[in-house]
Amino acid sequence: MDQDLTPEQSLKVIESMIGQAKKSFSRMSFYFLLWGVLLIAAMAATYLLRNGSEAFSQGASWGIAGLIGGILSSIHGAREGRRQPVNNPMDRVIGWIWGAFVITMMIVIAASVSNHQDPGGMITLLTGFATFLTGQIMRFKPLIIGGVLFWIAGLAMHFTNDPLTLTALYCGSMFFGYIIPGLMLKNQEDGLRTA
Amino acid sequence: MAFAPLDPVLHNQLRLAVVSLLVGVEEADFTFILEKTGATRGNLSVQLSKLKEAGYIRVKKTFKENYPNTSCALTPQGITAFEQYVAAIKEYLG
Repeated sequence: MDQDLTPEQSLKVIESMIGQAKKSFSRMSFYFLLWGVLLIAAMAATYLLRNGSEAFSQGASWGIAGLIGGILSSIHGAREGRRQPVNNPMDRVIGWIWGAFVITMMIVIAASVSNHQDPGGMITLLTGFATFLTGQIMRFKPLIIGGVLFWIAGLAMHFTNDPLTLTALYCGSMFFGYIIPGLMLKNQEDGLRTA
Repeated sequence: MAFAPLDPVLHNQLRLAVVSLLVGVEEADFTFILEKTGATRGNLSVQLSKLKEAGYIRVKKTFKENYPNTSCALTPQGITAFEQYVAAIKEYLG
């Protein structure tokens, strides 16, 4: 690989390597799968236990899911950070997007709870925003589509108060917006690792 | 019409591949560069040394999970050289 190059060959080398660098994101499927499962479980628990337990009807399951997810994400992030063979600046941009998402979500939850409103619809819209941007940065269509599905579900959630419909909309959007893209991303990541 | 001479350090397939790869990332491990360029360990080591001697890359030797690890990043000088090389190539290609 050390022969002299024509300008055309040089350009090809440059394009190909820049393309490789652009595809070198850290492994993110873990987060989508973890949060997808936790949030679906939290929503299902809230629905199923809404009449039986005051704590669950007031959102204890979300707190538990957030705590478990936060701890596992931190442990995984620290471990992967040490192992990561490349630092792609876009990884940091994606991290900022999700950091900003969490801060905005906290504000929305606090504001909604103080006004006795359900924050579910707004949070789903916000989830769509962060998922869509992540998909665009990674050029990964399933996440882009997932982001759009969150937007549609978030909008629909503003027009209903029926617990079952809200649960179905939220769990459905999580399944198609996090779980399915997460599995496809995992497949792609495993393929890259063994290539 | 006289064309700008191409930088001899960069006008080599493997060295150009390494620098092009590093342009898109902040830092990359030796194993990552090896995998993406498809080079042999020996050849890659030699070319990385040449890039380091030219001041185009910074090589950091550390330990990662108890194993020795070499990571590389472009220096500002390397970025400038790459930009000039790309401009010269564009000139050649009209």
